[in-house]
Amino acid sequence: MSDSHDSPDFINDLVRLFYMVGGVLVVGTIITFAIDLAFSLPLVWAAVIGLTIALVKASFVVAIFMHYKWDKKLIMITWTMVITFFFFAGMMGLIMWADGDAPSLARTEVPAKWVVLASLLGVALPASFTFLTVKMLSQPAPVEAAVPKPRRASKKRIN
Amino acid sequence: MEIPYTVKPRPDTGLYNAKLGIWLFLASEVMLFGALFSSYVLLRVGAEPGTWSMGLMDLYVGAGNTMVLIASSMFVVLAWAELKQGNLAGPWMSPRSWGYKNWKWLTIACAVLFLCVKWGYEWPSKFKHYDVWLNNATVLHEKFNNGYDEVASHGGGVEEHIEGIYTKRFFKESSEGLGGSKDEFKKAWDAGTLALSGHINAYEEAQIDVRITGWKADAGVSEADADKALAKQGSEDAAGLRLNGGLLPEKTDYDTAKRAEYALGQAGFTVALSVADYKTVKAHPWMWRTKRVTEDIGGKPRVRSIVFGLDDSHHKGIITLDVGDIKRLSAYEPKHSTFFGIYYTITGLHAAHVFAGILIMLYNMLPIGLAMWHKDREQFTNRIETFGLFWHFVDLVWIFLFPILYIL
Repeated sequence: MSDSHDSPDFINDLVRLFYMVGGVLVVGTIITFAIDLAFSLPLVWAAVIGLTIALVKASFVVAIFMHYKWDKKLIMITWTMVITFFFFAGMMGLIMWADGDAPSLARTEVPAKWVVLASLLGVALPASFTFLTVKMLSQPAPVEAAVPKPRRASKKRIN
Repeated sequence: MEIPYTVKPRPDTGLYNAKLGIWLFLASEVMLFGALFSSYVLLRVGAEPGTWSMGLMDLYVGAGNTMVLIASSMFVVLAWAELKQGNLAGPWMSPRSWGYKNWKWLTIACAVLFLCVKWGYEWPSKFKHYDVWLNNATVLHEKFNNGYDEVASHGGGVEEHIEGIYTKRFFKESSEGLGGSKDEFKKAWDAGTLALSGHINAYEEAQIDVRITGWKADAGVSEADADKALAKQGSEDAAGLRLNGGLLPEKTDYDTAKRAEYALGQAGFTVALSVADYKTVKAHPWMWRTKRVTEDIGGKPRVRSIVFGLDDSHHKGIITLDVGDIKRLSAYEPKHSTFFGIYYTITGLHAAHVFAGILIMLYNMLPIGLAMWHKDREQFTNRIETFGLFWHFVDLVWIFLFPILYIL
């Protein structure tokens, strides 16, 4: 959480929000559980529903518990998140792309260009991650735009 | 050296350093777990029908553990909120005034409970359940025709009953089509490649005679030392045994026999093991493998037969299998199959994160960790926040693991 948000009122609101998110997570788990018990879904639907609910739960955890909602102005975290998301999506995507298992690379189902693109993507994602990290850190300090203005008035130690 | 920006945000990143550090660490964790998740999906999608034994997962236990972890994730953020308000600890009797320490203890309790369920129940119960593949399906038909009483009381044929167990174990009920599971079952039943799942209730274990067949005087062991080795094995007439050979010891268990064989071999004796008899042992052995059961002792197997309680009806659906009919026997350990390999890898890595989290939480509860609170409250609060971020990530991983392992 950035320093601009440590007034007692804000913390109280936050605690209320934490309880609500806790409720959402519990309800999400129960729904997943109930759907699986009540219906025998085909694998594809079980995957879609199960993972969608998991994604919703995860979003709440990241946004509220991990304070991302208030930190998203901070470009470092956002870039870290976005790039890792693409990395993850890329990994999953490439795997789901596969037509099947072939004993050699010379299978006809997958055109060679996909293999080349996949390799490029595999190189490009970590490379861009490194590049952006280096770029961010080598910016001359201070960069006003990247810093949310702290509310100096409320910035005192609370006991 | 003073570490800069532990409390104030660094101007260019807008974050205090520890927070940037933990986010970068979490990013690397996403890639680590992401690779494992991808592997799981790849293996799951590519699995032959009837080989993905996820029917063995207990959905109730999984959902319960998810709840425990969600609760812990909430407690840890509440602990941080209390610190932010300067509330280190409150009386246990009034939950409204609970402070950092109260919530943190609850978090630790949840984490410990999670690991107890995983390492104390979920994993061990898999280590003492087995799959048995038979050499020949016709044996199975005979076995079920005489001595499998459960089926008679349930009505229906043997095949239907076993098919029920098989379908539940390998197929998400109708998910891959009932026709599909029926066909797969028929194929496996006819080919004899069907794996019976259940646990071993009892077995007949070899009683082994250790016979001395000779002694090599040129082995570099003196007569006195050889006799001493014999005496250690309980021989009263060491010299006589050394000269003429004979039985020593008699009808002993496998471990003793093997130890005697080794010790006597070291003393220059040639030794032969033979099975004198079989004794019935009532036990639920853990982590047995085929080799252990069929190990050759003087031409006979170490275990002659096992009493196997089939899944679904452990205590009534019992058959006795001769080890000669067994092609492979395996507990649900990592070696069992691809599914269990990736299952233990992912849940094990996740559990290791939970375990590490417990250690860090305990550190932050002890005087050595709390010293920072007394030195610089804001820095300590930030430390707890960064731990919280890690802990939420561990929770996040489980949020995805639960549907993937227990439902897909």
